[in-house]
Amino acid sequence: MGVVVTGLGVVSALGPNPAAFRRALLDGVNACALHEFERFDGSVVKAPAYMAVPAEPERLIEPRKLRRMFRLARMSAVAARQALKHAELDPSTLDPTRLGVCFGTGFGALDPTQKFMDSWLDNGEANASPLQFMNSVHGIMASQIALDINAQGVNLTTAQRDICFEGALDTAVQLLESKRADVILVGGGDELTPMLHEFASRTQLFVRENLSGLDPWGSRRGIVPGDGAAVFVLERDDSSRRSLARVVGVRTGRWDHGGELARETWEASDSPEIGLFTNNRDGGARSAKLNDQQDELLGNIGDATVLSHRGNFGTSPSAGVLQFAANVLMLSNGEFYQPLASGKPAGVKVAPPKTVLHNAPSISGNHAAYVLTK
Amino acid sequence: MAPPPQIAITGAGVIGAFGRGMDTLDRALRVAREGVGRLTLWQSELADFPVGQYHGDLDADLSDVPGLTPRIRKRLSRSDALALVASAEAVKQAKLSPDVLIGAHMGQSVCGTLTSELLYVEARRRAKAGESTRLNLSGALVHEGANTLDRMADVFKLRGPTMSYMTACSSAANAIGLAVDVLRNGRAEVMLAGGADSLSRIAFNGFCSLKVVSPDGPRPFDRDRQGMMVGEGAGILVLETLDHARTRGAEVLALLTGYGHSCDAYHLTAPHPEGKGAIVAMREALSMAGLQPGDVGYINAHGTATRDNDSTEARAISEVFGNVPVSSTKRFTGHTLAAAGGIEAVISLWALRHKTLPVNLGLRSPLEDAALDLVTEARSAPGLKHVLSNSFGFGGNNAALLFSEA
Repeated sequence: MGVVVTGLGVVSALGPNPAAFRRALLDGVNACALHEFERFDGSVVKAPAYMAVPAEPERLIEPRKLRRMFRLARMSAVAARQALKHAELDPSTLDPTRLGVCFGTGFGALDPTQKFMDSWLDNGEANASPLQFMNSVHGIMASQIALDINAQGVNLTTAQRDICFEGALDTAVQLLESKRADVILVGGGDELTPMLHEFASRTQLFVRENLSGLDPWGSRRGIVPGDGAAVFVLERDDSSRRSLARVVGVRTGRWDHGGELARETWEASDSPEIGLFTNNRDGGARSAKLNDQQDELLGNIGDATVLSHRGNFGTSPSAGVLQFAANVLMLSNGEFYQPLASGKPAGVKVAPPKTVLHNAPSISGNHAAYVLTK
Repeated sequence: MAPPPQIAITGAGVIGAFGRGMDTLDRALRVAREGVGRLTLWQSELADFPVGQYHGDLDADLSDVPGLTPRIRKRLSRSDALALVASAEAVKQAKLSPDVLIGAHMGQSVCGTLTSELLYVEARRRAKAGESTRLNLSGALVHEGANTLDRMADVFKLRGPTMSYMTACSSAANAIGLAVDVLRNGRAEVMLAGGADSLSRIAFNGFCSLKVVSPDGPRPFDRDRQGMMVGEGAGILVLETLDHARTRGAEVLALLTGYGHSCDAYHLTAPHPEGKGAIVAMREALSMAGLQPGDVGYINAHGTATRDNDSTEARAISEVFGNVPVSSTKRFTGHTLAAAGGIEAVISLWALRHKTLPVNLGLRSPLEDAALDLVTEARSAPGLKHVLSNSFGFGGNNAALLFSEA
């Protein structure tokens, strides 16, 4: 496999750009805070969450253009522009038909969907808002980015619950390898809306207390949610001018065990010893049980430390994209970021890794894994 | 370098406004039975607009899906049910043995919205009435895009690459096209690929809000066309390498020889006026198949019957292929959104297998935007070897699939 990451952009609770994201990871910033969520009955509740800071245009996108986008589209479009800048690529100089976008999102455009439903519930079905409908379509995430940067190549939005980003990554790598594109912006993101918060709180998926933040090693009944988006520039190794990290293996799919998939991915990647295992532990009871099982299965690959940074930036179906950003930054900068557990450093001691194996088992039975090297 | 393995289609399943199964589709296409009907799934102020609803007994249909346990059945949305019924037909036809490594790609858009949107409507109603908004939220669990694929995985014991693609109305075509690389890379022995979408309030009200729904059903490529008809259904193919199919003695229905994909990057809903992206996708599909435009004997058009789509698609087809036989089958099925590419792949297969071009139902006065050989009545095509199927979606997403006789 010869695909490299040449640029990244991130808008998350840890900051509005990659530099802020890295600084916050280095400093062990706990981004969990109390946020207000309006309920259907108009009341307001306060609950802990890792809400992404506002996406700033930073002269990357016309503010007017940005204002017309809904929040998740804004975060994603800004992250895409950041990634291109970081990769020192001007999209207007590329063959637009060879520039593609793959974006993973679990819930997609929730806010416009809610506003669209409100428009017909408030004004009658004959007076529903066409603008909100256009924005509510799940596939609009990759399209919005393409529209902004004139990417006329492959354009795909993947929705595979908690491995939606890893699915987009897998798809993008295959598309580059089969030469269906020369440059692909691959990313992921989700937004935490009041509607999602209310429904998920009612099913006790989200907690109302636990302000200290998410403990990835915990196994509580509820989790602390987060949101944000990140986008990466991927190129084939033979055509790239620079490299932050190399994707040497990626798989997604239905396997009996995530650990089995991770082992196969690692074995097929011809990688040297694994320096660090990352996973998608989010402190929820179901995730804990599954990851305990997986860690045991992975034990025979190597004795590297297993960790998740979701205690730093929160969790969402596409939070794997933020872990990918942390992994790329650790590899490219020769750094190690101490994970947080309930807002405090977890006390993990690891040398800056040269190879990272990420294992993303999912309770749905669909799993994902990738291997990144320096 | 050895040429990449050829991709065989060894099973197909379909369900929609025309009914359930390949035999019913065959009869509908032969007698030109339109799928225009009334919306009965929910009460709507807009119910005067016709829809392409499946009026069969979906519950009874599910009884024919092997491996469907009561536990899984409880967790099905209408989209999931449509997908399972079509998949079961495809798997049965392909005669797959249980030890085969099967993956799946699904194209979806509506997913479980028909169920989950009701939760929001009810929560809001109760909030306004000052009642408790505590609801049974089990319906929310079917909302997510991956639900259909997960239920297919449960029922058909999938073990291999799986992915749900959401590119609006080109979703199924992309799901099918992207399965080619998975098979060629040897990551699965067999792939189920296609799309499924049910009717939903959001989609129906949404297209009505865009003023693109026709009051008398779609009349694709007609000069006086008034718009589309929202539909529902599923179309699923079983794909495997030709070698794999031959080794296990499977009947090869046709080959999937080309796939092209592009984005207009022009507008969130409107197609590029010159069909720029559509042209790229169709040419890419031809190039992958190693074919010339003149080799293609029939095009199953996206042909939604909206003013924008049909004009630009006609121009794009004409630009690439000249005066090729074209029809849109949307009046048989309605526009089934993410499922469209799957259902129309099955119709393309039907055309290839029966050497018959399906009629462009609803056409009265052909549009004048481009000179196309519009199929005004079902036509025999004994020399038909290659068929192209177009699917275009919101966001300017374009996909073209090329099918060739085995």
